[in-house]
Amino acid sequence: MTALLSVAKVSWRAGTTPILQDVSFGANPGELIALMGRNGAGKSTLMNIIAGLQSASGGAVLLEGRAVDHWSPAEKARKVCHLPQAVRADLPFSAWQLVLMGRYPHADRWFESETDRAAVETAMRRTGCDTFRDRRVSTLSGGERQRVLLAACLAQEPRLLLLDEPSTFLDVDQQLHCFSLLREEAQRGATCIAVTHDLNLALTFCTRLIVLAEHTVALDCTSAEALASPEWLSLFSSRLHLNDDGAGRRWVSFA
Amino acid sequence: MSAPPHSHAWLVGSAVAFAAGALFFPLAGPAPLDYGAVLARREPEWSILLQLRVSRTLLGLFAGGALALAGSLFQAMLREALATPYTLGVSTGASLGAVIVIAVGGHTFLGVPAIWAGALAGAAAVLFLVVGSAARHGRMSAFGLLLTGIATNSVCSAAILLIHGFAGMAQSFSIARWLLGSVDAIGYGALVPFGVLVALITAWVLRQARHWNLLAVGEDWAAARGARVSRLMLGGYVAGSMLAASTVALTGPIGFVGLIVPHLARSHVGADHRVLIPCSFLMGGVLLAGCDALGRCILAPAEVPAGAIMALVGGPYLVWLVRQRG
Repeated sequence: MTALLSVAKVSWRAGTTPILQDVSFGANPGELIALMGRNGAGKSTLMNIIAGLQSASGGAVLLEGRAVDHWSPAEKARKVCHLPQAVRADLPFSAWQLVLMGRYPHADRWFESETDRAAVETAMRRTGCDTFRDRRVSTLSGGERQRVLLAACLAQEPRLLLLDEPSTFLDVDQQLHCFSLLREEAQRGATCIAVTHDLNLALTFCTRLIVLAEHTVALDCTSAEALASPEWLSLFSSRLHLNDDGAGRRWVSFA
Repeated sequence: MSAPPHSHAWLVGSAVAFAAGALFFPLAGPAPLDYGAVLARREPEWSILLQLRVSRTLLGLFAGGALALAGSLFQAMLREALATPYTLGVSTGASLGAVIVIAVGGHTFLGVPAIWAGALAGAAAVLFLVVGSAARHGRMSAFGLLLTGIATNSVCSAAILLIHGFAGMAQSFSIARWLLGSVDAIGYGALVPFGVLVALITAWVLRQARHWNLLAVGEDWAAARGARVSRLMLGGYVAGSMLAASTVALTGPIGFVGLIVPHLARSHVGADHRVLIPCSFLMGGVLLAGCDALGRCILAPAEVPAGAIMALVGGPYLVWLVRQRG
């Protein structure tokens, strides 16, 4: 069986500065992958390359075995969604209109069908933004806006969700809720790759961790393996420790 | 559709206003028409109405619609509330072409008035220049378009000033008059092709309405939701430029309608381009034809150019609109 996504020896240079070199990994349905790394490690670039928003300088990204740049944009948009790190804050659209844009790849008609509206309703309810559905995005707080963007991705009903820092601006409860939603998506057969800096969120919710360092994949293992041998924490900072409360609960703390 | 609740009322309202404008604006003018004579199709009333007033009103409606539509389009593509055919250099390029022709004193070129040919050539030159320098590796960036457009705009404005300064007395007067921008009676031979061109481009722009929604959020946002961004940006830029250039060729530079109407429409009907685009077109047409009708009446028998009325009324209105929104 071909993997849903396979990233093969992807490289990218900013001018002459190498950012990514020979990045390779595959992803399958049911996985919720945390993509991590320090600032400037190339996480967002890698997400853009996988989404086909940016071309790699070398290597290939295959989606269901076919190179990502051989997919037509509309065809690809029905399989893959991309949550950007940020959109302009002063958008003139209402929250509902923005989420509805997730349905554009599915709707052939000029206006959306009942199915599309239902998908939008569900996505907005799941992310808890149905209470401000008619407000303009420009009047929303950062966290509320982030939930609207997440709803737009869910409404797109993709097989592969690429989420660039989905939990930024979110309060703690909403961060937990956001990652629970991603886990639900993975459990119903989607593949999620989420960029995050929160090691505890990653270890709690994700099935797998990929850490970028020195331009390439420095760590690629399941969360269980990561908890078993925590030496990789030094990739982020020398001040991190993995704690154990004796009852099997583990968390990363800093000193 | 969950656009603001009043959006459909606005759409219907502007369509009604557009139709009413087409019917009633021709009746406004310096010389009162004897309606009995018009109904009996007696000359000269019938010809005044049909050849002068109706053609002029239709030109105003379509020109205003085309400029407002071009403004909405550029503002969506560039995500910049100040983007208009003017800030992008297209209109000024067209003006430069027309001004050169006036200064040289050409009359006709391949059967069309030389001023039109000059305006279209000027706009085409700017189009190639701006697209050529803003496109890098097959990708057009909004920021590149805007900056190149603004630079081109200044160069063309300076060239117009120079030509104006060195032109002879008579030419200099014609240039000044043309630069004011006005809607004048034109023959149906020019009006029909203009109307068909505007209608075709409007239909294309309207078909892409959902893509303009996506682009108004961001280029990557649009690309990740199925839009072919480079092709769309190029198509939108060419469409907006053609609308602006063909309008400038017939009316001279009339600036404000492309800025005011999209703002007005967006604040009332919201940003969904499926409603915003037809609304902008209809409201832009009514506004320009209305300004022209007003200009024919307020200082009759003298005529105030529609461009001047638009600027005098539109400027303060825009400031007020911005203040209201705080």
